[in-house]
Amino acid sequence: MQHDAHFVDTLSVRPGTFTLQKLIRELTAFWEGEGCLIEQPYDLPVGAGTMHPATFLRVLGPDPWRAAYIQPSRRPADGRYGENPMRLGRHTQLQVVLKPSPENVQEMYLRSLERLGVVLAEHDVRFEEDNWESPTLGAWGVGWQVVMDGMEITQFTYFQQAGGIDLAPVTAEITYGLERIAMFLSKANSVFDVMWNDTLSYGQVRHRDEVEMSKYNFEVADAELATLMLDRHEREARRCLEAGLVIPAYEATLVCSHQFNILDARGAVSATDRVGIVRRIRDLACACARAWVAGKQGQRFPLAEPEPAAV
Amino acid sequence: MNIQDFLLEIRTEEIPAPALLSARTELARRLSDVLAEEGLAPSSSESYATPRRLAAVLRGIPERQEDRSAEVLGPPASTAFDAEGKPTKAGEGFAKAQKVSVADLVVVDSPRGKTVAARKSIPGRPAEEVLAELVPRVVAGLTFPKMMRWGAGERAFVRPVRGVVALFGGHVVALELFGVAASDRTLGHRVLSEGEIHVTGPDDYLVKLRIAFVEPDAEARRIRILEAARRLAAEVGGQIEAHADLANTLADLVEWPGLVRGAFAPEFLELPEEITVTAMRTHQKYVPVRGPEGLLPHFIAVMDNTEDRKGFIAKGSEWVLNARLADARFFFETDVQERLEGRLPQLSRLTFQDKLGDYRQKTSRIQDLAEEIARLIGRADLVEAVRTAALLSKADLNTLVVKEFTDLQGIMGGIYARRERYPDAVWKAVYDQYRPASGSDDPPREASGAILSLADRFDSLCGLFRIGFVPTGSKDPYGLRRAALGAVAIAIARNWRTDWRPIARKALSLLPEKLAGPDDEQTLEELGRFFAERMRSLLERRGHTYDEISAVLNVGVWDFADTADRARALSEARRHMDFRSLIMAFKRIRNIVGAESPGAPTPALYREEAERALATDFLQARSAIAGFVQERHYREAMETIASIAPSLDRFFVDVLVNCPEEDLRRNRLALLASIQNEFTSLADFSEIVVEK
Repeated sequence: MQHDAHFVDTLSVRPGTFTLQKLIRELTAFWEGEGCLIEQPYDLPVGAGTMHPATFLRVLGPDPWRAAYIQPSRRPADGRYGENPMRLGRHTQLQVVLKPSPENVQEMYLRSLERLGVVLAEHDVRFEEDNWESPTLGAWGVGWQVVMDGMEITQFTYFQQAGGIDLAPVTAEITYGLERIAMFLSKANSVFDVMWNDTLSYGQVRHRDEVEMSKYNFEVADAELATLMLDRHEREARRCLEAGLVIPAYEATLVCSHQFNILDARGAVSATDRVGIVRRIRDLACACARAWVAGKQGQRFPLAEPEPAAV
Repeated sequence: MNIQDFLLEIRTEEIPAPALLSARTELARRLSDVLAEEGLAPSSSESYATPRRLAAVLRGIPERQEDRSAEVLGPPASTAFDAEGKPTKAGEGFAKAQKVSVADLVVVDSPRGKTVAARKSIPGRPAEEVLAELVPRVVAGLTFPKMMRWGAGERAFVRPVRGVVALFGGHVVALELFGVAASDRTLGHRVLSEGEIHVTGPDDYLVKLRIAFVEPDAEARRIRILEAARRLAAEVGGQIEAHADLANTLADLVEWPGLVRGAFAPEFLELPEEITVTAMRTHQKYVPVRGPEGLLPHFIAVMDNTEDRKGFIAKGSEWVLNARLADARFFFETDVQERLEGRLPQLSRLTFQDKLGDYRQKTSRIQDLAEEIARLIGRADLVEAVRTAALLSKADLNTLVVKEFTDLQGIMGGIYARRERYPDAVWKAVYDQYRPASGSDDPPREASGAILSLADRFDSLCGLFRIGFVPTGSKDPYGLRRAALGAVAIAIARNWRTDWRPIARKALSLLPEKLAGPDDEQTLEELGRFFAERMRSLLERRGHTYDEISAVLNVGVWDFADTADRARALSEARRHMDFRSLIMAFKRIRNIVGAESPGAPTPALYREEAERALATDFLQARSAIAGFVQERHYREAMETIASIAPSLDRFFVDVLVNCPEEDLRRNRLALLASIQNEFTSLADFSEIVVEK
């Protein structure tokens, strides 16, 4: 067992000794040690780390892939004006993808908790069934939520399908909810009490964002603009696909998805509309996935089979 | 013959509790079955299961199969042997193909006539060899509601398989499951035990697992959980609510159950108890603790650990529950800012089903239907209450508490209606509208709730059947089987005797116009069959036999309460009297009369004494039975019917029905037909199976 001296006593109830920043550093370092490429957060609003091309596109096809990255995740409807101790309109995920899923993937995950100073025998760590499905991405997986002492801290998924394509090899996806874990490890009563670093709290850094973004998403956002953005980016995605440009098409799809989430938070989507919009976005995501796979095979993608060195 | 024990363990990543419940005994049962087919029946079998392993122990398996001989059929004798009885080319060819000498060919009688057969002796194979072949086949045949692939993605099982133990008589059986080779090594508890465990056989395996903090027997884990929970509850002066489902689930979530007690902030006791209990039981899988005066601010959590060394587990659980309850209180306090009536317009934005409209429309249909039901069952006094309850019934679907705690739909509506001071008949009806939620649940407490529940169920059933959403196989996304079973259970519990077809017709008439799919009458027919199936399963659960159920269902299903009564009367009457001769007589009558309708008998045409006696008995019995049926004394009615059996017997002995005189023949048929018509209005006795 590896114990980082700085973390050993963080589990006693002493708010302030545990910081979000250390959490990110330690987990990233851990997965780097497991051979993960450390990707950067995607610079477009997304609802989850899964939507990052480093997951959604890389899980497709035969090539092995190991990556870890932080992904700020925007869920406009989850915002609570900064008044709820646990809910955020934008939270932070650490996303890990391992393809093919290693045999000891659960043990790897548990070691990552030990890296944070968690002595497993002093806790109750369980893998409880929680399957995952994303209708907008045409994706689903089977797995668990990891529950520690009653708290969900991680989503653990074996990807079965993405973009409507059956996956083989199968990717294991591990998504840490960082604010949750930080709250839990520092036994903070509110996410805003979590220390970001040794001097500043999460609330000091982010509370105003939560208040203003909630107000915007629930009360101010221009639904007409969001609808227009959605429609235009759908068209743009189609144009890109016709031009054989998968990444730009997928980026346009991500914009559609985020605009849909804003419309939803704004209460501007009826149940019937919802079905239609979800289907439109899924069609785009599936088209991107198909185009990505087709392109990869045509290009002898380097991750699958390194190109022989030039003679 | 020497015998040996077989141990199989499939070690996996965490199998979901619901999948484990059904798979637990499946592995041992299937292995026993196929071994028996191979002549290797074990003397006993045991099943073990934890979230991380499925195991089977089969004891007393013979080491080898018995040698046996078999005959393989070949060509006709006439082609295989010539006139002198010497084998022909065809005969020799067959012997060669079967790898026997010509001397081993015999002639046997087969359906094809005289046929040549090769008599072969098949040596028994070692059980180990048979197991190596069978086990992978049996395991591949295990199915789960949701299967998954992992790694290279070539194989599917409920969760990834990480280890296999297969030992026969202490030897590793050479087999492979999901790409994992069998060995004699396993692992103990994920956290509490370290290193591999070497096992030599079933008993060694069970002992060593328990040393390594794994209790392989689910029932032992369940009992340990319940006992410890009772003790922990008693320490704070409370009791646990025995909740079988929760105890089973908890036992299937851990390999080594330990329990901790935690406390939540007492201020949350001010929340409606339903919310607090659901947050504990459904969301956190904690066991609530109840004192003499109500809920206590304590809970009991199960952990996969021996003890809570540093108190982290109790603290963590308390912290999570308090946060959830704080959330719930926020939802509740927000919800009560708006009256249920004020929420009604929002229901038009909530779709029930594309073709059947939104919840606003459903609400208005339920209102009309509830009124119709109240009048039909003679409770016009409840019309106002049920109309109000129906109006409010779906208003809680848009509340924050129901969005977060979906199990509480209906219940929250009831709680909000109570706070808004609606009368008991209204709020209790809303509260109970989804009951009975399962086979073991009670129906609604009040008549108004029963009416509302029936109205909602008839609307869903008729609407969805009308647009062709008839459940098939395991596909029943709208829970229509449960809806119909609940309707039947409510009518029976309330003893509301009525033909429910007018309500179904009314429900169909309230649906949006111009729906595609079957027409109303066809829908009604399908619905009748659907109700008959539900009625059948309900009566089976009450212990009625298959033939009794067919007998009562054959003469009508749509009056559920009456059907249940007729079934009960039939079972009781059968226990009480000998129905055999009556049933034989009715079977005979059915065969003789067939589809003829010969009209009423004429007394002037009776010739034989037995004929007159039967007619007299029939007339007497008929008036007595009419009285009993009027009073719904079905058992007495059936016993009276049975009492004419001797006269019927005598009639069949003494009287020739198919006599040459056409007028006498018709008259006798008419007498039998009248008996059949009159006496099978309660049950079709000819369906009853009689032991010979």
